[in-house]
Amino acid sequence: MPTASRTDTPSIGIIANPVSARDIRRVIANASNLQIADRVNIVLRVLTTVASLGVPRVLMMPDRGGIRAMLQRQLRREHNLHHTFPEVEFLDMEPTSTVDDTFLAARMMRAAGVRSIVVLGGDGTHRAVVRECNDVPIAGLSTGTNNAFPEMRESTITAMAVGLYATGRLTPEQALVQNKLLAISINDGERRDIALVDAVISTDRYIGARALWKTESLSALYLTFADPQAIGLSAIGGLLHPVGRREAGGLAVHLSDDPATRRLLLRAPIAPGMVREVGIAHWEPMPAGQPFPVALQAGVVALDGEREMAFDAGDRVRITLRENAFPTVDVARCMQTAAREGLFRLSSSTT
Amino acid sequence: MAGTNPFPLSRDELLKCYRTMGTIREFEDRLHIDFGRGDIPGFVHLYAGEEASATGIMSHLGDGDRIASTHRGHGHCISKGVDVVAMMKEIYGRKGGACNGKGGSMHIADVSKGMMGANGILGAGAPLACGAALAAKYRKKGEVAISFVGDGASNQGTFLESLNLAAVWNLPVLFVVENNGYAESTSRDYGTAVDSYVDRAAGFGLPGITVDGTDFFAVYEAAGEMIKRAREGGGPALLECKMVRFHGHFEGDAQTYRGAGELDSIRADQDCMKKFRAQVTAAGVITADEFKAIDREVLGVIENAVKEAKAAPLPTLADLTTDVYVTY
Repeated sequence: MPTASRTDTPSIGIIANPVSARDIRRVIANASNLQIADRVNIVLRVLTTVASLGVPRVLMMPDRGGIRAMLQRQLRREHNLHHTFPEVEFLDMEPTSTVDDTFLAARMMRAAGVRSIVVLGGDGTHRAVVRECNDVPIAGLSTGTNNAFPEMRESTITAMAVGLYATGRLTPEQALVQNKLLAISINDGERRDIALVDAVISTDRYIGARALWKTESLSALYLTFADPQAIGLSAIGGLLHPVGRREAGGLAVHLSDDPATRRLLLRAPIAPGMVREVGIAHWEPMPAGQPFPVALQAGVVALDGEREMAFDAGDRVRITLRENAFPTVDVARCMQTAAREGLFRLSSSTT
Repeated sequence: MAGTNPFPLSRDELLKCYRTMGTIREFEDRLHIDFGRGDIPGFVHLYAGEEASATGIMSHLGDGDRIASTHRGHGHCISKGVDVVAMMKEIYGRKGGACNGKGGSMHIADVSKGMMGANGILGAGAPLACGAALAAKYRKKGEVAISFVGDGASNQGTFLESLNLAAVWNLPVLFVVENNGYAESTSRDYGTAVDSYVDRAAGFGLPGITVDGTDFFAVYEAAGEMIKRAREGGGPALLECKMVRFHGHFEGDAQTYRGAGELDSIRADQDCMKKFRAQVTAAGVITADEFKAIDREVLGVIENAVKEAKAAPLPTLADLTTDVYVTY
């Protein structure tokens, strides 16, 4: 396990989830399925890009889903071709093919002192990394289903921004931005978790295939931000009452199928290609720091699209928005700053 | 609230599914002992640890739906409704077995239950399932076929050809890759270029999903959606169940390819029956005592099956030339 912090060596971490975008929404909603070969290609592009910016060492999460095996084959081929790559070290951990791998990898990378963690996954994968990496800034690449949290961007550009930050060409003030999250607590902290985009209360009471797609089971949504261009359950908030990613506060939306309590019917893309009608009872702003009690007696809390925490009568579920909760690499700002300051210019010409 | 049922199956259905999983587990654990004693001829490949996959999928099927199984087929047989006494007699090579004692473990079949057979040839079940699905498509009764393969067999040409055939003919077939991490003793990383089985389906334009095959409810819900889709004309799909096997590839396998402590760890943390019991008892739907009563009942069923199998006569020389050609 690479525990020694090597601050002299600007290393970064890569956590690539081999099973993001693999759930039932492939069948019920024709959602995309990014093949392992393409995930490996994304990692290879990140590696060559950060190498070109002088990042000498990259720690990677090992997996049993095909990424490690294919990447190692590709790296041997690249070595034969004398292409420049950073030193790639797989963390010394035994993969379990569960989310625990992501949790452990994030902790190990933090302990090893990586400057940033590049994440390949959807909202659920990013949530898992943030839960454990604490203050290590992450840079997200969308390889999931909804991808409301990670921005859609070519990995080369994200890797350039990460490289600039990791090698100290950009300061934390220039490169990083703080984000909101939702803290979920059951019975005053007996069980805790977080969500980066949405915590959704459903009348379903078992975890099963994890994804949520049946609108009749939805009871309430708590959102850190609500983007009208998002897909997934946060789109309900996005099309009802947009709240920006960088704005203060979040949004709580209470749903109802009952015409007596329903204030309006809203159409929203709750999964890729799946535009559904949902009954809205009311909605309200979520100020930071104020716990919102969940009214439903028994159900499940879905975190960033996946059923995670089942609760029963007698369980007290509270959801609280936290601001300035964790840093991400602000790729757009990094690249603008880099261009403005001429960080990619190799000669002094001003024209 | 505790006591009400949060699951998509009734209490009786949950009890039935647990009984099925328990029957498979006890059947296999008993074979493990009896084979070790030298009581059983031939070869056996045990399904213990993988029960949630067969049971979660087969819960959605009727006798008119056909399955093509693998060399590790006992769990598929039991969950498809094949009589355990007839199975045990078959494995013991006795008359009265599912195939009159002439097939053995790797060729148990009962077409009346839609079980087209275990199969000693890796990957050979997939084209058979396509044939059954083609028949179902013509019969227009909404029937489906399921092809089971292991992670190793999914590298066979027959499997890949079947994906193509199923796609171009839009067959009501579900390909289930039971991924227990080892092709016999070869790990996936070593023997498979792209060890995502969902990517196999994507290459042929089929939807594919991966579920935790040790979670009965994850398998049940995903398989239910895929089978419903196939019945309604939505075509083929692939389901990868990530799972663990508790025994070796075959009985007698020293399992030197496993990591230190791997077996103890998967039995402790990835036992699909433990997970099922924990979820259902936590919800207050079935009590731990009720589960124990089923465990005892199943023990008796398997004990009886072994007794009957041992008491049954062996096939005679004259039986050798019967049942050589069978039409269905």
